Amino acid sequence: MLRKTAALLGLSALLITPTLAFAQDDAPTMGSDIAEACPAPANISGAIPVGAIFTISGAASVYGGSQQAAVQLAVDQINDWGFLGDGNSINILFEDSASENEQAIAAMTKLVDEDQVVAVIGPTLSREAFSADPVAQDAGVVVLGVSNTANGITDMGDFVFRNSLPEASVIPGTVADSVSELGITSAGLLYGNDDDFTVSGYEVMLSELSDAGVSIVGEETFAAGDTDFNAQLTNLIGANPDAIFVSALAAEATPIIQQARSLGYTGPIVGGNGFNSPAVLSQTGEDSNGLIVGAAWNGSSTNPLSTAFVEAFSEATGNPPDQFAAQAYTGAWLIASAIRCADSTDRAAIRDSLASLPEIETPLGLFTFDEDRNPVHPSITQVAQDGVFLPLISEEEPAS
Amino acid sequence: MNLTQQIVNAIWLGSVYSLFALGYALVFSVLGVLNLAHSAVFTWGAFIALTAVLSFSMPIPIAALIGMLGAGIISFLLEKIAFQPLRKRGAPRISQLISSIGAAIFLVALAERVFTTSVQRFPLGSIPDDPIPGLPFSVTPIQVIVLVAAIGLMLLLQALIQRTKLGMRMRAVAYNARTASLLGVNVSRIYGITFFLAGALAGAAGTLFGLAYNSMDPSMGEAIALKGLTVIVLGGLGNIKGAVLGGFIVAAIEVFSIAFLRSNFRDAIVYLLLFLILLVRPQGLIGQKEEVRA
Amino acid sequence: MDFFRSIGISEPVFQFMLVNALLGLSVYLTLITGMFSLANAGFMAIGAFTGAILTQTFGLPLIVGLIGGMIAGGLVAIPVGLPVLRLRDIYLAIATIGFGEIVRIALLNVDQVASSIVGERVVITGGALGIKQIPKMAETWHLLLLLALAVYFIWRLQKSRFGRAMAAVRQDERAAANMGINVVYVKNIVFIFSAMLAAAAGVMSAHLTRIISPTDFGFNQAVDILAFAVLGGTSTAFGPIVGAFLLTALPEVLRFTNEYRGIINGAILLLVIIYLPGGLVNPEGWRRTWRRFRPAQGEASVNVG
Repeated sequence: MLRKTAALLGLSALLITPTLAFAQDDAPTMGSDIAEACPAPANISGAIPVGAIFTISGAASVYGGSQQAAVQLAVDQINDWGFLGDGNSINILFEDSASENEQAIAAMTKLVDEDQVVAVIGPTLSREAFSADPVAQDAGVVVLGVSNTANGITDMGDFVFRNSLPEASVIPGTVADSVSELGITSAGLLYGNDDDFTVSGYEVMLSELSDAGVSIVGEETFAAGDTDFNAQLTNLIGANPDAIFVSALAAEATPIIQQARSLGYTGPIVGGNGFNSPAVLSQTGEDSNGLIVGAAWNGSSTNPLSTAFVEAFSEATGNPPDQFAAQAYTGAWLIASAIRCADSTDRAAIRDSLASLPEIETPLGLFTFDEDRNPVHPSITQVAQDGVFLPLISEEEPAS
Repeated sequence: MNLTQQIVNAIWLGSVYSLFALGYALVFSVLGVLNLAHSAVFTWGAFIALTAVLSFSMPIPIAALIGMLGAGIISFLLEKIAFQPLRKRGAPRISQLISSIGAAIFLVALAERVFTTSVQRFPLGSIPDDPIPGLPFSVTPIQVIVLVAAIGLMLLLQALIQRTKLGMRMRAVAYNARTASLLGVNVSRIYGITFFLAGALAGAAGTLFGLAYNSMDPSMGEAIALKGLTVIVLGGLGNIKGAVLGGFIVAAIEVFSIAFLRSNFRDAIVYLLLFLILLVRPQGLIGQKEEVRA
Repeated sequence: MDFFRSIGISEPVFQFMLVNALLGLSVYLTLITGMFSLANAGFMAIGAFTGAILTQTFGLPLIVGLIGGMIAGGLVAIPVGLPVLRLRDIYLAIATIGFGEIVRIALLNVDQVASSIVGERVVITGGALGIKQIPKMAETWHLLLLLALAVYFIWRLQKSRFGRAMAAVRQDERAAANMGINVVYVKNIVFIFSAMLAAAAGVMSAHLTRIISPTDFGFNQAVDILAFAVLGGTSTAFGPIVGAFLLTALPEVLRFTNEYRGIINGAILLLVIIYLPGGLVNPEGWRRTWRRFRPAQGEASVNVG
C-alpha cells in the first residue's frame, strides 16, 4: 500500500509541473493532501465554470478587492498545476454585488441560470448571503461563503457552506484568553450600532464578558462611516477600564486605535475580525502595541501553507494579504478539491464531495466542515507587537 | 478632566465640519443649488494630495496645495459639464441636484478604480500625532492646524466676498444673474470661479481630514456629506459664517449627547434638530431671508 | 425572454424593476404636485418592516402584509406632512431627508428602547440585524398587477377634479388658493398617497430580498428613488416607470464592463440628465436635444432663488 502511494506520488511528480516538485523537498503545498487522497479526475474535461460574488464596488468594496485577488491567485495556481486533470481548468467568473442585496440576487441568478456554474464563492456580506444564497439553494448549487460571519447562514439549506468562522466562535476565545492573560476585571465596550456584523460581535463580547465576571464600566456606540470617536473614547477612558473591547469594521480600526492613544489611553484594546489586517498595524505604528485581536487567521503564522500564501499573494498584488484574502484563497481551493474528489461537474455530486472532504491543511490551519457545513479550524488570539501579530498564548486552541 | 476634554473634542469636530461645509455653502450662496458632488470632490482632493506624497514624495504642505488645485479643477469641470448645460436650458433646480448626484456617482466610481478601494493613510509620522505636552487635556498639532485652517479660510472667504471686486461680482450674480449679466458681469466666468474656489476648499478639507483621521477610502465623503448638509442648513443655506457656526453647533450637539446622554441617540438628536430648524426657522440660525447669500 | 436574460435581465432583476417603478410613481405623485420630497425611502422602510413583521412574525398572508404596510405608511404620513409640506423646494427636500434619517435611526433603536421599558429583551425590528429569512412571497404577477393598479389609479386621479387641483398647486400655490383650492388639503392627501405607494413597494421588496435592515433605506435609497422620476421625466406617469426600469437594469446590463461598470453607469446617468433635461419620456426634450447646436441662449433663464 505504502509503495503504491509512493509510486503514485512519484508518477504525479513526473507528470505534473514544478510546483509539486518544489513541494517534495520542502513543506506541503496547498492541495497536496487532496492530490494524495483523490486521484486526478478522469471524467471531467475542459474549463469548469465557477462563480464568485464579491463587493467590488460600493460601501463595502474594501473587502471585495482583496477577496477577488486571493481567489484569482488560487485559481491561477490550480490551473497552472493542472489540479483538476490535464488540460482542465477552472473558469472563474467574478460578479460584483456593489454591496447591495438586490445586485447580489441578480448576480447569483446570472451565475446559476445563465453561466451554469457548478459552485459559487461568496457573497461578501452576510446580508447579501441571506438574500442571494436561497437562489443557489433552490437551484441545487453549492454556495461557499468566505466572509459570512452572521448566525444562521448555513441554516438556509444543505447547499450553503462557509469557511469563515462565525463571530460566535472566535470572540469567546478572544475574551477568555485576554481575560486570563491580562487579568481584566473591568471593560469598556465600543461598537457600531447600525451594522449587523459589528452588532453581533458586540453581543457576543457582552455576554462573554459578563459570563467571565468582568464588570462593564461603559458602553458606547458609533455609526458606520464615522471617523471621529473622541467623544465616545473620552467617556470610556474616564471610567477607567482595564481594557477596551471594540467591535468595528476595518475602516474604523485605525482611527479608533490612534484616537484612544492620543487621549492618553495605554491599556489593551481588544478587537474582532475587522482589526485583523496588516494595514491596521502598518497604519497605526507604535499605537497598535497592546492591540489584541481574535481571528480566524494569523498573518505571521509559521504554518508553511500560510507563509507560502502570504508570499504568493504579496508577489501577485504588491500588498500583504488580510484575513479576508486568506479565507477567500482557502475557499477557492476547497471548491477545487471538492470538484477533484467528486470527479464530476454535477452540482449535487460536488456538494456531497465538499461536505465529505477529508481534513486538509490550509493557510487557516487544519480545516474541515462540521455537519452543519460550518468551518472547524483553529482560531487564535493575537497581540500586536512592533508591527506584527504574535500569538497571545503560545498554544493554539481549536474552535468550531 | 472629562468635561474639559469633551469641550476640546467638540471644538475639534466642529472645525472639521466647518471646513467641509465652507465650499458647500459657497456654491449654494452663489448658485442656489445643492452640489451633492461636493463630497466626491472632497475625496478626490484628499487622494490627489495622498498620491503627491506617496508617488512623488512631496512634502505635506505642497501636496495639500496640489490637492486643493486638483480638487478645484475637478470642481470647475463639474460646473462646466454637469451644471452649466442645465442652467442654460433653464432646467429646474431639482435637475441640477440630480445631475450633481450623477456626477458624484461617477467621481466615486472613478476614484475606486484610480486609487483602489483599500483604506489608506498618509505615511506614518508625516504629521506628529502625539498630543501637545503640558496641557490639561489632549490635543494634537493636526487638530490645531485644522481649527486654524477652518477659521482662517472662513475669514479669507468672507473678505474675498465682501471686500474684493470679484466678491462683489459674485454677490451680484447671486442676487440676480440676469441683472448682473446686463451690468456686464461675465456670469459664466463667475460660476466657474465659484466652483473652483469651492473645490479648492473641499480639497483642503479632504487633505486635512485624511491627515487628521488616517483613514481614507473612496467612500470617505459619503459619511460626512449628510452631516455637512445639516451644518449648512443650521447656519442658513449659503451663509458662509453660518456654515462655520453650524459646524460647531452640530459638533457640540453630537459630543454632548454622547457625553451626557447615550451615544445611540446622537444621530437621532442631530436629525431631529435639522427637522425642527427647518420647520421653525428655515432661513437658519443667523440667516436673513433677503440677505445676499454670501 | 431569452434575449432579456442574455443581456442580464433575469426574473429577479425584472421584479426589482417593477418594485422600483412603484417607487418612481410614488415620487412622481409628489413631484407633479410641486413637492420636492425625499421622504419615500423612509415610507418604504415603514412598509417593509410592517409587512415583514406581519408575514414573518405573525405568519399572515402577503396581502395582509401589503395592506398593513400601506396603512402604516399612510398613517405616519399624516403627522409628518402637516408641518413639513409648508416648506418649499430645497427646504422641503432637506427636511424630508431628515425625516428619512429619523425613521432609519428609530428602526435601529426601537428594540433597545422597548426592551428597557419592558425590562426584558424585545425583538421587533431586529435593530441593525434587521429581519432575516422573510419568506419570498412576492411573485412577478403580483408586482405587475400592483403596478397596473397604481398606473390606473394615478391616471384616474390626474383626470379628476382633484388632479386638476394638483396641477394648479404645482403651477402656482397662491393662485391655486385664490381659485378656492384647499392647498394644504391637496398637498397632504397627495403626500399620503405617495407614502402608501412607497410603503407598498417596501413590502414587496422585503419579500424579494428576504432580509431587511434599517441601513437599506438610508439617504442613498432616497436619492435613487428620486432619480427614477427625474431621469424618466415627469410629463407622464410612464416617465418614472421607464426611469426606474432603466436605472435598475443598467447595472445588470453593464455587468460585462466589469470594473468599469460604476464609472459607465454614472456617466450614462449624467449624460441623460444633461442632454435630456425633461427626462427620457419627454418628446419636447428629445426635439430640443436634436436642435441643440443653434446659438446659445445666454444666461437668461438662470434660476437663483
